Amino acid sequence: MEPMMLLRGLYAIWLREITRATRDRAQLIGGVSRPLIWLLILGVGLNPYFRGEVYGEVRFVIPYTYLQFLFPAVIVLNIMYTSIQFAVSVIWDREFGFLREVLVSPLPRPLILLGKVLGGSTIATLHGSLVLILARFADVTLSLSQMFTALGLMFVLAFGLTSFGVILAARVRSFEGFGVFSNTIILPLYFTSSSVFPLDPALTRTQMVTAYPEWLVFLVQINPITYAVDMLRGVLIGFNQFPPGYGPAVIFGMAALFFVVALIDFGRS
Amino acid sequence: MSRPRPSRWRSAAVNIGIVAALLFAASFLPPDTSLADRQRAGVIKLCVPPSFPPLVTSDPSAPGYDIELGQALAAELGLRLAVNTVPSIGRDYNPRNWSLTRAQCDLVGGGVADSVQTRSFMQTLPTQTQTGWIGISRTGAMPAAGSVVAVLPGTSGLSRVTLSSWLRARNYRGKLVRDTKELAQALTSGEASAVITERFLAAGLELDERQYQSFWLDEPQFEGFPMALGLWKGDQTFKSAVAAAFETIERSGRAAQLRERYGIDAEPQ
Repeated sequence: MEPMMLLRGLYAIWLREITRATRDRAQLIGGVSRPLIWLLILGVGLNPYFRGEVYGEVRFVIPYTYLQFLFPAVIVLNIMYTSIQFAVSVIWDREFGFLREVLVSPLPRPLILLGKVLGGSTIATLHGSLVLILARFADVTLSLSQMFTALGLMFVLAFGLTSFGVILAARVRSFEGFGVFSNTIILPLYFTSSSVFPLDPALTRTQMVTAYPEWLVFLVQINPITYAVDMLRGVLIGFNQFPPGYGPAVIFGMAALFFVVALIDFGRS
Repeated sequence: MSRPRPSRWRSAAVNIGIVAALLFAASFLPPDTSLADRQRAGVIKLCVPPSFPPLVTSDPSAPGYDIELGQALAAELGLRLAVNTVPSIGRDYNPRNWSLTRAQCDLVGGGVADSVQTRSFMQTLPTQTQTGWIGISRTGAMPAAGSVVAVLPGTSGLSRVTLSSWLRARNYRGKLVRDTKELAQALTSGEASAVITERFLAAGLELDERQYQSFWLDEPQFEGFPMALGLWKGDQTFKSAVAAAFETIERSGRAAQLRERYGIDAEPQ
């Protein structure tokens, strides 16, 4: 096939994913309700427990407010949900025969998968960027360059997680099974990514004496989402708990690895 | 005649527009009651040390830059300023021992550096003033290696560890003093060949300008810090209102007039 034909095929698959997702009001409501619950309810609800009462007292030694600390993590949560839930679209296409029709088209399989993953990543990035609208509420001031850097990194993260969703879809046979499966993956990954509590023994002396059990520190450190959250914190509020290069290295590595595995799985389907 | 086909993007744009508008509206919700509480009380309490010239002085006709700035901020917010002089500020290295509480202060001024350490405990509003390490000697330069150098670290958040390493690396014999009187005495009695202290503390030293000259320690490791007003962490609505008021004062030129009046922009003499 000619390159232009291939590109048109890729565009058609991407467009189908975009059209389907943006017309699905339930999915968009999910994209809104998560930031509202996590930032407006949890963030505001816990804020009094993290605010200063006595100057010099160690309570929450991160040099930002709790809402600012939480803000980048909620973006990652929105991307995680949307990307991994994208697998439902793959299962749907498989169940109702659309995938079969596409697979018999002259488009190469890697290109079909790329179109689907790019579509899912675009939607996940859109859901992540919806959280940016709440920056004013969280007292996070963003420059244009910060916004564009964040959007680029959010897209790479979404690409990796969407590919991961495809890998999951290849292993799950029903919608019901996937619902349970995805929640058992998303929530543990989110909670052990230093998203709602700070974890950096190297940050300050006061932070060092804040005791966390070793197993929790281990879980946080081996969780790749930890580095994605840390990377967005670095870009959006200028705070890193780990060396700044770790985040981009992890998300680019994740994107490449998961896409290759997804490609192998997709080729078998 | 058939009706023109609606754009394929219309439905998507409407859905995204609705959720974005909803989040935008939510971003205007107040995340706390800190501003409302101060408005109800009609007063802002500013805690300052008894003296930290030129930011805080004991002269009622020129009470200091931070105090006059506090008055201007309170007036801009339609509130009254109550200055709370707290003798414990600066007496101890550990700010917790200053015993500043929410009940006593809404703002803390008179020597708060906008450093990571300060931001671990408070939110800061930079006041366009700068601090750093100042040296004072008869020659206007550091003396020969092996000389005694008296040091008064102050409380504004400059790194004492960096200073102490720098002194050791150059074989100076450091002598820690407790207050500005001891510092001046060490220099005038010849006990120390030079003294090092924080910029605003140096400004308050009563030394014969013809005999002693001050100079910045501007080695790369000595990071200067902007000075700030401290606000309690988590008091987001109050901080936003104070920041907006400061911007208005800055734009009107009143803040610059205050800085000129107190010689804040001037280099050390």
